[in-house]
Amino acid sequence: MSLSRRHLLALSAASLASWRALAQDAPLPDIGSIPAALKGSGEVRVVGYGGTMQTAQRKAYNDPFEQLTGIKVRDFAGADLNKVKAMVDTGNVEWDVVQLSRGSVKNLMKRGDYFEKIDYELVDVANIDPAYRFEYALDMLVWAEVLGYRTDAFKGAVPVGWKDFWDLKKFPGDRSLIGAGGSSNPELEFAVMAAGVSADKVYPIDVDKAFAALDKVKPSIVKWWDTGAVPVQMLTDKEVVMTSVWNGRMAALQAAGVPAAISWPEGLLKRDAWAVPKNAPNKANAMKYIAFTTMAAPMARLASLIPYGSVNAKSNALIAPAQLAKLPSAPGIKEKLVPYDYEWWAANRDAVLDRWNKWILA
Amino acid sequence: MRSVPALGVPVGTLRVLPVRAWNIRALVAGPALLVGPLLLFMAAFYGYPVLAMLARSVTDPHPTLANFAQLAGDGVFLHVFGNTLRTALVVTIGTLLLGYPVALALSRMRPTAATITLTLVLLPFWTSVLVRSYAWMVLLGRRGLINEALRALDIIQTPLKLLNTSFAVDIAMVHILLPYMILPIASVMRQIDPSLPRAAAGMGATPWGAFRQVILPLSMPGALAGTLLVFVLSLGFYITPALVGGPRDLMLSQLIAQQVDLLNWPYAACLSVTLLGATLVLLAATQVLPGVRGAFRLGSR
Repeated sequence: MSLSRRHLLALSAASLASWRALAQDAPLPDIGSIPAALKGSGEVRVVGYGGTMQTAQRKAYNDPFEQLTGIKVRDFAGADLNKVKAMVDTGNVEWDVVQLSRGSVKNLMKRGDYFEKIDYELVDVANIDPAYRFEYALDMLVWAEVLGYRTDAFKGAVPVGWKDFWDLKKFPGDRSLIGAGGSSNPELEFAVMAAGVSADKVYPIDVDKAFAALDKVKPSIVKWWDTGAVPVQMLTDKEVVMTSVWNGRMAALQAAGVPAAISWPEGLLKRDAWAVPKNAPNKANAMKYIAFTTMAAPMARLASLIPYGSVNAKSNALIAPAQLAKLPSAPGIKEKLVPYDYEWWAANRDAVLDRWNKWILA
Repeated sequence: MRSVPALGVPVGTLRVLPVRAWNIRALVAGPALLVGPLLLFMAAFYGYPVLAMLARSVTDPHPTLANFAQLAGDGVFLHVFGNTLRTALVVTIGTLLLGYPVALALSRMRPTAATITLTLVLLPFWTSVLVRSYAWMVLLGRRGLINEALRALDIIQTPLKLLNTSFAVDIAMVHILLPYMILPIASVMRQIDPSLPRAAAGMGATPWGAFRQVILPLSMPGALAGTLLVFVLSLGFYITPALVGGPRDLMLSQLIAQQVDLLNWPYAACLSVTLLGATLVLLAATQVLPGVRGAFRLGSR
């Protein structure tokens, strides 16, 4: 009853662990030698989300990092922006590196000096797109929020993009979209694209237009989900025929044999980012860890284990073609997706959520 | 709002606390030494943090009552608070109607049967609330056990919409909270002297009359303890409504979590104060209601 949402997230992730397409036997690219500047001693405390993701991270880059740099990695589950705030506020910082999103980092930075600047001297900036780099956070995981649908629901018809999602006649059945629970934001982007805005003109979002479009689809939404396990569960149980969903979860669902597929066009390209809380006890090691994990080979190793993409341009060449075809960062897929605008959301989130809450209960 | 430690706690504490617990002389004597360590622990690791958190609602960033002023005009809050109270009420009534007969039966069983029944009652109690919520998703789903069975029996043609509704929240919460109702009632019923209903029967009371005039009044302290416990726990429910509820079934704890995630801690604290306040008012009200005090006093005899 008092479990937090993060616990819930981790637990539901664990319950789905057997489904996850964790390719345990995938051959992983070698990391080889590393720059001397990344070597060191002591430890670094890394906080992620637990579950399959953390298992993959351990294998992909935590273990090699220990061997190659001499720095011990202690990893924890339960990354949480609120805990970062509380730790910095009370001067009791226990974490060195936290997996968050740029939006979260920006939101907290608006309220004070809560994060260290990333040391880009160490980072492989030549191969990391400036779009992935931010003063106080470095993107480290590329994923997508996409349209997932049951392939047996529409007699072979394939929904493409959000106009089809909004088309209740051509694609009848119940649907689900993300709600405003937890750290997620409502999918206004999808709504404006359904209303005819082209993918490159989504931002800045016309909020009135988005809510007008949401009005139309609202009656067929049976659930505004807020944990990643829910949309896949509902697709499996035929509670919905279409839903927005995280691409990694869909890969797991397909691996489990459920007749469901991803429709990539007009999906949102999102990223998780490493950030270092202000006055982290092992700040120097944190910077080394961040630089190391975003190198081409460690990123490619993670993407080979779990279908989330790399921020390093050299990684794709190191990933097996079959696995690459599942990644949101792969050529041919990335172009179809709309890069999520963390800046816009950081500036507008409070106002949108206020309106959203009223709208949802109306 | 926070989880209640396992078994055993409710009945005793609820019955002892209201009765002259604030008598200073009684506190200074022996019992104070016994309670002291726990009291210190709770004050340091529970009382202080909770108060500090609640203080945020009027001090962050500077002394203000703006948060509470905002509350009064916040339509979202009013709707969610209303829904929270409604859910708690329905769940409490549901658990009382289902739990009371079970507790009554428990008190009349032979020891072996009673042990088995008690284990059955407790079994789900020890299962994670998350697992039980998921189980209800499996049962109530469109392709779930209930719909499939009804369809196989030709009772319905198209699946009923059971999951993602208020009904699903109510039924799942009744299931989850049922032990909290059964245990206090059963514990009180077991203390009722078995010769009393026999005496009533001997004086010509029908079985129903003996139940109504003897068992029912004597078991009231348990029923009241269970009712309070279930109602208060319901007010803070989070996971179950999130998993099996419909689009509009937002509970107050979900709203608090959302405000925390928005880094809007003062408003979240303000909502928490309101939830805590409502709970305390309720507890106080039960002390004032006619008959209720008597029920408590009887129980603490």
